[in-house]
Amino acid sequence: MVEETPLKINDIDRNAVEEALKLKGGDKAYAVSVLKWPPLQRRVQEAENLLREALAMGLDEAYLVADEGLLGADQAATAKAIAAVVKKVGADLVLAAEASIDNYTGEVPPRVAAELGWPLLTYVREMKAEGGKVVAKRDLEDSVEVVEVQPPAVISVTREINQPRIPTLLAIRAAMKKPVNKLGLAELGLGPEPRAELAELRPVVIQRKRVIIKDGTPEEKADKLLQYLRQEGVI
Amino acid sequence: MKALVVYPNKEALYAASTIGEYAALAVGDAELKAAEGAPVVYLIKGDPRDLGLRASAVLQTAKEYDVIVMPSHKDSKTLGGYVAQRLGAPFATDVVSIKPEGGKLTVERYVFGNKAVAVLRLSVPAVLSIAPGKFMGEPPRAQSKVVELSPQAAQLFRISGVEPKASGGVKIEEAEIIVSAGRGFKKKEDLALAFDLAKAFGGQVGCSRPIAADLKWLSEDHWVGLSGHKVRPKLYLAIGISGQPQHIAGILDSRIIAAINSDPSAPIFQYADYGVVEDLYKIVPILIKKVGELRR
Repeated sequence: MVEETPLKINDIDRNAVEEALKLKGGDKAYAVSVLKWPPLQRRVQEAENLLREALAMGLDEAYLVADEGLLGADQAATAKAIAAVVKKVGADLVLAAEASIDNYTGEVPPRVAAELGWPLLTYVREMKAEGGKVVAKRDLEDSVEVVEVQPPAVISVTREINQPRIPTLLAIRAAMKKPVNKLGLAELGLGPEPRAELAELRPVVIQRKRVIIKDGTPEEKADKLLQYLRQEGVI
Repeated sequence: MKALVVYPNKEALYAASTIGEYAALAVGDAELKAAEGAPVVYLIKGDPRDLGLRASAVLQTAKEYDVIVMPSHKDSKTLGGYVAQRLGAPFATDVVSIKPEGGKLTVERYVFGNKAVAVLRLSVPAVLSIAPGKFMGEPPRAQSKVVELSPQAAQLFRISGVEPKASGGVKIEEAEIIVSAGRGFKKKEDLALAFDLAKAFGGQVGCSRPIAADLKWLSEDHWVGLSGHKVRPKLYLAIGISGQPQHIAGILDSRIIAAINSDPSAPIFQYADYGVVEDLYKIVPILIKKVGELRR
């Protein structure tokens, strides 16, 4: 089933792209993506199309790391590949989503920071560049931390940080001409990585009763619902 | 196997004790107290919010341990990714079960917005963060041996201030009954319906992402979902909530899920025990009255 599921851009990545566009000024801003899902050939095309969406938003150039050695590899490998591209293009700020919305681990940005040996800010909901520093607010569970780092740095952002722009038709056309560079592991000086040790993937069976109350007046429906809830002993 | 608990709390200590011999790492006095009973406690004097300091302390002690165990929260996930990369270790977040097996660690976690369970076999060293409410046992208690550490802090960032979050004074994770409001509510004032019903039930008010994050009608302590709070009440009543995967992921552990929505094709009905197809503006006032009478 996973093989048939189309790829999509992680929603929160759009916020990271938007923030990069705000900060880039006269500099270049790049997209980098590491392909982890088979089958390689078909996914490369799919991923390229998705990267063009980021280019249409306004990024200048994209890098796609695609290699059989990365399919199903663990997140340490993803981080190494991203760090290698960051060094290759000479970026001094890495912006990322706080997490991907499928698995929500949020572990790649900290891994990239560790790999590069750079300062790290995660869960940033507000940021600005100020005299060579980045001043930001980290959105934690019960508090907001006001923090600063001196780039180079890795920063992961939340959905609340901005409203990502919708590219114009003109920008979408222009994006077709922007470069999408495809690289394998060897070109980044990396070797194949051990696979993540996924022993089994099983669907979560929804064990809900799914009783639908749709007939009768609102009054009757309310009675019915309360009757069920009493039977369950929850009220 | 040997486990090291970072950000010690009872659940993480218990989870670690099921793996084998264990120790805790505490930054500051509050964590030292939380780690009480662990056979060994490494104590670092300093700011518990300083992730650079904590990362250095973990890296200094980690060689002696096979597994690092933490509760799941934003700082532990940040720390976990960082130290895992340094240790060349896998990092599994929000695990719901842990089993040491033949020198490896078998863990389970929900993936794809909680649509599937992944069983992972991790080589050690490994870093884990545990899902709340899944490791509820009593850790064995020992007389703790406290070892003070003073690591060289690698600064990750400088903290210049901490602001409390706007709060509605709700601990939604602990609520037994949650009446939760979504985009079906047309204006902020209408949320009074949800509050009145919650009051009648003796419960708390939750909400979906748009209500807290986009419209800001409620403070974020009400927000239920993957990036809000994960809840496990005995009754979760979703009103005017369509049922986006990220919301569903936050309510899976509820005992009974009921939903009210005027749209019969709303995805929430797929995840509910009892679904009522009705306009919330018609049925909620009736429920408020009836529940109030029931409880009198």
